[in-house]
Amino acid sequence: MAFGTVLSAMIDGIRVEMVQVEADMSNGLPMFHMVGYLSAEVKEAGERVRTALKNSGFENPVKKMIINLSPATIKKRGSSYDLPIAVAIMVSSGLIPQKNVQNKVFIGELSLDGKVQRVNGLLPIVMAAKEAGVGAFVVPEGNAKECALVTGVHIYGVGTLKGVYDLLLGEREKHPYQNLKEDNETEKCTLDFSDIYGQKAVKRAVEIAVGGGHNILLLGPPGSGKSMIAKRIPTILPPLSLKESLEITKIYSIRGLLNEKHPLIYQPPFRSVHHTTTKSALLGGGSIPAVGEITLANYGVLYMDELAEFRREMIEVLRQPLEEKKIQITRKSGSYQYPADFMLVASMNPCPCGMYPDLERCHCSPKQILHYIEKISQPFLDRLDICVEAPRLAFEELGQSKVPEEEVLESSAQIRARIEEVREIQKRRYGKRSGDLTVKEIETHCVLDKESQFVMEQVYQRLHLTVRSYHKVLKVARTIADFEKSESILSKHLCEAIGYRGADKKSWGR
Amino acid sequence: MNTNKYEHEFWLHCLPNISNLVKFKLHSIFPDLEELRKEKEKSLQCLKFLSETHIRRILHGQSDKDISKLYQSLAKKSIQHFPWNSPNYPSQLMNIFDPPFGLFVKGDLPVFQQYRVAIIGARKCTPYGERNALHFAQELGQSGLQVISGMAYGIDGFGHRGAIQGGGRTFAVLGCGVDVCYPREHIGLYQDILNHGGGIISEYPPGTSPLAYHFPARNRLISALSDFLIIIEAKKRSGSLITADLALEQGKDVYALPGPVDSTFSQGCHQLIKQGAGILLSPEILLEDFGMMTNKTKGGKKKILDSSENLVYSLLCLQPKRFDDLLIETKMEIGILMGVLISLELKGYVKEVSKHNYVKYL
Repeated sequence: MAFGTVLSAMIDGIRVEMVQVEADMSNGLPMFHMVGYLSAEVKEAGERVRTALKNSGFENPVKKMIINLSPATIKKRGSSYDLPIAVAIMVSSGLIPQKNVQNKVFIGELSLDGKVQRVNGLLPIVMAAKEAGVGAFVVPEGNAKECALVTGVHIYGVGTLKGVYDLLLGEREKHPYQNLKEDNETEKCTLDFSDIYGQKAVKRAVEIAVGGGHNILLLGPPGSGKSMIAKRIPTILPPLSLKESLEITKIYSIRGLLNEKHPLIYQPPFRSVHHTTTKSALLGGGSIPAVGEITLANYGVLYMDELAEFRREMIEVLRQPLEEKKIQITRKSGSYQYPADFMLVASMNPCPCGMYPDLERCHCSPKQILHYIEKISQPFLDRLDICVEAPRLAFEELGQSKVPEEEVLESSAQIRARIEEVREIQKRRYGKRSGDLTVKEIETHCVLDKESQFVMEQVYQRLHLTVRSYHKVLKVARTIADFEKSESILSKHLCEAIGYRGADKKSWGR
Repeated sequence: MNTNKYEHEFWLHCLPNISNLVKFKLHSIFPDLEELRKEKEKSLQCLKFLSETHIRRILHGQSDKDISKLYQSLAKKSIQHFPWNSPNYPSQLMNIFDPPFGLFVKGDLPVFQQYRVAIIGARKCTPYGERNALHFAQELGQSGLQVISGMAYGIDGFGHRGAIQGGGRTFAVLGCGVDVCYPREHIGLYQDILNHGGGIISEYPPGTSPLAYHFPARNRLISALSDFLIIIEAKKRSGSLITADLALEQGKDVYALPGPVDSTFSQGCHQLIKQGAGILLSPEILLEDFGMMTNKTKGGKKKILDSSENLVYSLLCLQPKRFDDLLIETKMEIGILMGVLISLELKGYVKEVSKHNYVKYL
């Protein structure tokens, strides 16, 4: 029987579907036909595969050839079917016995000379196929290291089509790819909080924000180091667990963002979006939605510089993912749910020229100043628990002159250690971060003592807090108290939290 | 009732792009304006001061019916119209250069038997200006003076607010129709002025939009309606200085508030003081100049601050100071310092002008 079948897999959104590649050869007029709901790039595979076969020294049979990719109900995309199609043809023409390809998944793109090229999205496929009981994978050499992050399966990295043939016939010794212990520290992060001079209040606010999982807004004139601080936030985030790490690596694998040498993403991601970004790039989009920036920032930081310059619509769409930590995208082809558990760090100038409240230098009219903050809706501002000013640095703070002796520049590791402690305290208390507390939980866990209750009452009335900002202040106060390992919220904790309360539109520029 | 008594005056007043001077002339030639409305083109052409466009506007404007309807609708919007020949028209206005042909008033006109003070200044003001505008307006309002201003951003707005806080009446003269709130953000203030026995005044017919050239014109009304003028903050070239010049022409006293000598926001005031304007030292001294005593006897406000509050307060000035700098200078813990600042803010000594920027406020 001139028939061969080979296993492969595909990615639909971030889901993995197993695909059966079948090849049949029969007598008749020579022809090559491919079926199975194929997109244009998969149809082109026929030409590549036959040329690659010829150039690798295999004869193309002069027969009627039918290739089928099943299940035929899902649209097949991408170039990763080249290798399984080639192998299926070799099986059907009797070059390779069917039993030698059993229980193996083949993935790879072929070039005309028979080389096997790197493709995207292999890690999730290997993980899913392992669940489905597949034990061995034949993948492009360039992807082998990434696939080997999954333990308990055999990964065979291949460079050429000839190599695959030799491997399957046992002419090449079978050496599954060995995952040499990942030297995690090879790609050492060069950013550190000790690079930042001065800015004590901002650093402290950032530390609290990370500790309690609060979103933060940095306000300040241009060039005050807002981005510099934001970029260093991932260095103080608690390290990812292996599970989280793999989850992120999976997503990056699909987007083709992995580094070939160090595929595993073990540091929380930092994604910076520019204000010209489109909605689909931010949330994920396309007819089969590709993951967007918010998903790429999963377990890490999403940084929005110049928040006021974003189109209003772009800011508003973030409200749902911020609340639910995931994003649901519905398209004609189905509904897709992507994770989006990120910490939002936003920065903006206080006015169009950036110099307010320095009235001597700010040349904006009162109306302009007022309207600048108006660009951001109150519900969105309400989701930013902490608001802090990043001041313009004085010359002494630029690091040219000697750092005053009493000022100790803490390293990210020191700050991270404190944050991990706080996270641990909070986890023990209510199993989540303070930033994620619901109103009910706030009432039970953020109890004020008499003194702070008096302060809160005064502030609530005199400074016109809203109910929402009242709850935010309590959440932040809870985190601050945890930093001092205090079970009750003292008035100094509360006062500090009040100091970080969000930008108030009513008093802006007045 | 003779509700339609001034309908013809209303018609003439509302004719667009005809100066007050021409309207007055027409009214003196046609004491009964009905005749003017029935006049033929030929006879109007005999009047040399009327241009072609004037005549077209007079003869082919809105129909009698529309005018009548508009006039009736004034009452619905609780707007009063006082043409120059009405007994309610403030006589002070007749003596100024280019008197308005009439006034539209929502609420009340100021009482002319009592003192009226105009408090004006820059739209973009510093916390120092803000605080003093509020303070002067409040004290003067409390002593029964009526505060007149232009309801603009900045000093004008604080002048009105202060007067309301002091329990006084305050009046806004607008550069647009009295039913138009400009700036839009002051809609709350607009309502407050009316709810506290004040009034909105304009020489422009209802519905007129705030055009740039209306504002210098309305300034002459602000000074004309008041007995004296207070300028809180003005830059070197400021609209407030124009108002001051107008007030001097009209023979009104002008007072200016001194500020820090190096502040660009007080340069206009200093210029006025140099030219001989009165110097504003306190509401009490100002009231004494007018032979009035303050209503309340103030035993000099004592500062009740504890030592750390005193320390922080002493470090603050009129320029915004950053939280970071205070932190370095006081060497306090972040939470403690924030607590001190909050308590100072609650007591009204300090104001947070922008996130983590503080100024001395009292």
